[in-house]
Amino acid sequence: MTTAFTVNGQPRRLELDPATLLLEVLREHLRLTGTKCGCDDSSCGACTVLVNGQPALACTLLAAVCDGARITTIEGIAADGRLTALQRAFGRMGGAQCGFCTPGMVMAAKALLDDNPDPSDGEIQAALSGNICRCTGYVQILASVRAALAEAAGAAAAGAAQPDAAAAGGRRGFGPAPPRQATKPPAAHG
Amino acid sequence: MPLPAFQLHRPRELAEAVALWAERGAAGKLLAGGTDLIPSLKQGLFAPDHLIDLGAIAGMTGISRAANGDWLIGAMTRIHELAEDPTLGREFPLLAAAAAQIASPVLRRMGTLGGNLCLDTRCLWYNQSYLWRQSCGFCLKKDGSVCHVAPGGRRCWAAFSADTAPALLALDAGVELAGPAGARWLPLADLYSGAGDHPLRLGRGEILSRVRLPAAAAGMRGSYQKFRIRNSIDYPLAALALALRREATGGVTARLALTALNPAPVLVAGLERCLAAALAADPPDLTAAVQLVNRAAKPLSTSTVPSDYRRDMVQLQARRALEACLA
Amino acid sequence: MASRPQLEAARAVIGAPTAMVDAPRKTSGAGAYTDDLAVPGMLHGKILHSHLPHARIRGVDAGAALALPGVRCVITGADAPTAYGVLPIGKDECALQPDKARYIGDNIACVVAESERIAAAALPLIRVEYEPLPAYFDPEAAMAAPAAGWLHDHRPNNIEKEYHHVFGDPDAAMARAAAVCRNRYVCPAVTHAAMEPHATLARFEPDGGLTVWSSTQVPYYLHKTLARVLQMSMERIRVIKPMVGGGFGGKSEVCPLEIVAAVAARRAGAPVKITYSREEVFYAHRGRPLQITVLETGAAADGKILAVRARVIQDGGAYCGYGPVTLLYSGALLGAMYDIPNVRWDGYRVLTNKPACGAMRGHGTVNTRFAFEAQLDELAERLGLDPAELRRRNFLRPPCRTVNGLRVLSYGLPECLEKVVAASSWRERRTAAAVGAPPAANDGRGPQRAEPASDPARRHGWGVACSHYVSGAANAVDRADAIHSTVYVEAAAPPPAPAGAASGGGAESDAAPPAVTVLTGTAEIGQGSDTMQAQIVAEALGLPLAAVAVIAADSAITPMDLGSYSSRVTFMAGNAALRAAQDLMRQIAAALARRWNCEAEGIRCLGGQVLGPSGQALSFGAAVAAALPPGAERLRGVGTYSPPKEAQGGDFKGAGVGPSPAYSYSAQVAEVSVDEVSGQVTVHKIWAAHDCGRALNPVAVEGQVIGSVWMGLGQALSEEMAYTRGGQLANPGLLDYRVPTILDSPPIEAFIVESLDPEGPFGAKEAGEGSLAAVIPAIANAIYDAAGIRLYEPPFTPDRVLRALKARAAAPAPGQAASAEQDQPEAKPGPAGGSPRPSHPAGAPPQAGK
Repeated sequence: MTTAFTVNGQPRRLELDPATLLLEVLREHLRLTGTKCGCDDSSCGACTVLVNGQPALACTLLAAVCDGARITTIEGIAADGRLTALQRAFGRMGGAQCGFCTPGMVMAAKALLDDNPDPSDGEIQAALSGNICRCTGYVQILASVRAALAEAAGAAAAGAAQPDAAAAGGRRGFGPAPPRQATKPPAAHG
Repeated sequence: MPLPAFQLHRPRELAEAVALWAERGAAGKLLAGGTDLIPSLKQGLFAPDHLIDLGAIAGMTGISRAANGDWLIGAMTRIHELAEDPTLGREFPLLAAAAAQIASPVLRRMGTLGGNLCLDTRCLWYNQSYLWRQSCGFCLKKDGSVCHVAPGGRRCWAAFSADTAPALLALDAGVELAGPAGARWLPLADLYSGAGDHPLRLGRGEILSRVRLPAAAAGMRGSYQKFRIRNSIDYPLAALALALRREATGGVTARLALTALNPAPVLVAGLERCLAAALAADPPDLTAAVQLVNRAAKPLSTSTVPSDYRRDMVQLQARRALEACLA
Repeated sequence: MASRPQLEAARAVIGAPTAMVDAPRKTSGAGAYTDDLAVPGMLHGKILHSHLPHARIRGVDAGAALALPGVRCVITGADAPTAYGVLPIGKDECALQPDKARYIGDNIACVVAESERIAAAALPLIRVEYEPLPAYFDPEAAMAAPAAGWLHDHRPNNIEKEYHHVFGDPDAAMARAAAVCRNRYVCPAVTHAAMEPHATLARFEPDGGLTVWSSTQVPYYLHKTLARVLQMSMERIRVIKPMVGGGFGGKSEVCPLEIVAAVAARRAGAPVKITYSREEVFYAHRGRPLQITVLETGAAADGKILAVRARVIQDGGAYCGYGPVTLLYSGALLGAMYDIPNVRWDGYRVLTNKPACGAMRGHGTVNTRFAFEAQLDELAERLGLDPAELRRRNFLRPPCRTVNGLRVLSYGLPECLEKVVAASSWRERRTAAAVGAPPAANDGRGPQRAEPASDPARRHGWGVACSHYVSGAANAVDRADAIHSTVYVEAAAPPPAPAGAASGGGAESDAAPPAVTVLTGTAEIGQGSDTMQAQIVAEALGLPLAAVAVIAADSAITPMDLGSYSSRVTFMAGNAALRAAQDLMRQIAAALARRWNCEAEGIRCLGGQVLGPSGQALSFGAAVAAALPPGAERLRGVGTYSPPKEAQGGDFKGAGVGPSPAYSYSAQVAEVSVDEVSGQVTVHKIWAAHDCGRALNPVAVEGQVIGSVWMGLGQALSEEMAYTRGGQLANPGLLDYRVPTILDSPPIEAFIVESLDPEGPFGAKEAGEGSLAAVIPAIANAIYDAAGIRLYEPPFTPDRVLRALKARAAAPAPGQAASAEQDQPEAKPGPAGGSPRPSHPAGAPPQAGK
């Protein structure tokens, strides 16, 4: 079946077997191998990508279900060839040892920071609690996220903060992405 | 691991999905968030010819209020929204608490309320690869004739392990099933058969479309007690939900339901009577109430954690939940 | 120009917190791991595994599988019948078993197809005719099996190997002891669970050569084994290690898929890639074996340990693998951290019908160290001594040799212990509580309390324990004369600078082209070996880190290295890299000494320059150009390392395992609380001090120390390989093999202790394994401090803790709950009725069986 979505800003139109997982599309069809397969059953988070700005596990998501969506992978977050503060902090602070969980960990952290620019340690830990790292014991991962936040705070103080374009228009669900300007806070009920 | 081949349907309307499901149900599966189904497909637990994705249907998500003040939640509403929605959290803190403890944050964004309520039952002899199941001659629930949990019997004891179900049972929720003959409402408890190998009572073509929380349950105190080894990712190994309100008349309205212990979520019968007696003593004596809950639980060796410990836990959970809500 | 002192001060590559040189490849997603590779015409392999735990293979019929469109071939044991194994004495396995399956998951056949999906669909079409054999899953039962139940005909009674070591006179010394503790400890098997599943891509080149890309820690073993099984010369085989997503020992032995992919590529006439599913990774295993340890320690009234007697049974699973080495480590390091004059150790490595065990982080030492350090806690209580003080009274006094002949030159254990004792306020806490008082008297109010005592059921406790590890095995497994590491450092003359550009030398910016290239056979698996060697070479040559490029683990271009195991890389390859840099420097200095007419010894490399004794200076690149022999394009410095003879141990049987040129040390304090109603243990904090000799890169050392502590924490709290009564691994996935999540992981504070080993590169020793073992007994001892229960079987899951708490409650006199005089019942472990995991009566406290 025909499936169309954007991956890292690039429109893609693919003829897919309906049983194709998003992970297979990314790794095998598009050769975006930064997204990893660690457990293949949604228990480790190594395949975390953003679908319409929300974290999702590519190993447990049919590609066809993402028709119309905006997909962001680890390869798509650097701006103009420069790694983001989060990526650089993972390198600097020891947040990446073997590196296999790193793409998923960075994407999960990015989803958090896009949503909540000033998280507590507890909120960072909660947001990363579906991502298993076997190397670090998470101490340096937490430090990496904190360091990225500190850098962002420093940059903001210097008036250099740029809104993250990929964060705009975040919505829940995996279907078509809404127009960028259509974001609004979740409706209040009652 | 590649998935087995199937045909994927993405209906835009619920009626279209119902018609497809009625036609293809025998050789099909419904796909909601997929967090349970996709890993199961990889393990060969199902080999459907047709997969009917409910994700493209308009109007199956969201939280709203009916004219009579009841709350309605679309079956495709993500678990994350149940956990985060401020109004729901205020009116039904029990549901929010249960939702917030499901799996991991990313799975809560993928998984849906309907999918959680229709979660397949789980067992260490069942949730395994083909090779693994072949090595024990398969089991009653899938491809075999023996239940390895209770080898003498003919019953499947796989444990129903969703977290929202006990919370919704305790909140006296109903579910709407959309079917070929229209929609019908039934109490949530009636959705479950109690048989581990066929846990749901759904008629041909029926799809769980909405959940109703009665206005009367809003504002009840709640306690969700969950035992799992890790604080994230894991399914529950024993859990219970208690909703309780001390009425102005001096009486107590209370419902308590269990999960991850039996082949269905279990609403414990007779709790209010038992609590009335318990509260007559000073200080309240919860022993009988705890024993009532204990008798409803049937933990068996469906997981690597010993069943006798899960039994210990459910009693502890009952006591802690009651103490928390009566305090 | 900067003065020499200024340049000296500016150097500091060693000891500076340094990002891994390959970090951008990891954080950008651009770095390629083996499964990320694809080559034209590549086929996919899927392995058929045995569903029976023990069976003779009567025949394999692949007809139906071959008939499936897209299937290219099916290979079986007949296609690769040469047995192999990591040890010369243990070549007992084939990549695909030709005649016998020995565990559920053993390798039978491989389908090669045009896609992974087709290969997976073809697997169930293969018909294998099996003749079931009796299977044994419990090591003590396996030792009593009749011949039909022997896994290997050449291993009667399923005993792979046994050793009996006696040093001093342990029996006489034990008889003199004022206090003796004797316990039985059972540690279930645990596995590495590296995040990257194993993968191999094999391609035959048009000239008949073979190229293999594989996720391996030890490309050299793979290279040798491929040559052996494929019957090719090593020169015709090229082994390349791409990025590796963690190993922890699980990728140190050759894995079946590595051979199968090559055999399949030959048969199919096309490149073949095989990537294990997560379940297959669990079956490939090679992790830490289930170990039964009966341990007895005797001490004098002053706390001096007089004797240790241990009987160790390791359940090695179906094949030998590293087995005898794992077993020997459990004895060799038992008495080598403290001054223990009398040791008896009896070790048995037993074969069972389960996935084969092997080396896992802390190889062989962890479960014995748990038993010993937990027993010391009991002994301290018996003697009325502070557990930290008991350890102090038994420190080694280096330089020395341990009773089993291990040479110890640097020994930072005392400083490690003082660091964590101080940081955790241990002393204040101990003086606050009456020494020797029953645990009920401990109100849990310690100085480091993490949360208020709002829950009266939750008591806090503190435990201390120590551990250590080798900085590389002094003896290679296959040949006594092996050169353990060889490293090349190459430098080419710089290209002519564009007009107007500043001359080379101070290559400060990241964009500066590397001035030197390190060629090394070491396997970077996430531990930082590439960065470590780049740092050492940069430091030795006075270059910035960015001026050093590393090319590693490609057998066609890099020199031989024994690989990433036994924490050998920093010590051995680090020394080789240092020597290679020094060799390069000697060549440069010799040339410049002629030019400058000075002594070569007076020439130094600093700040990207080469400086003469009288103010002469050249940029590094110009110096290289000046030193190039006529016609040559590059200089090559060569460095090698092999452990000195004095560090290679004694000459008794089994003496080869344990010796190392240097040992790391670790001391830890754990703070826990125990919910005495639910049995749930919460670890609030771990203080861990590690003597790594010299922290070449503090970020990496802390990462390794914290990572080790945390992995031990997993074994202590939630990880175990649980088996059903039928020998099925009940939890072959990351959902049920419970690696701690970030929410289960306490703060771990690492303290670096630098003992400056005289033989380590810049004084460095290992940092990546030695801290793992101590955390398990530290937590066990803390649980005792909090709740008065001794736990003899990790993981300390709530059910085990509650069982012990109930037994304590049922005991006649609470104050004697953990009397160390009582022996535990010597109950045999066995598959418990309906419980899918090993249930050992010995896991309960002593009085449970009384």
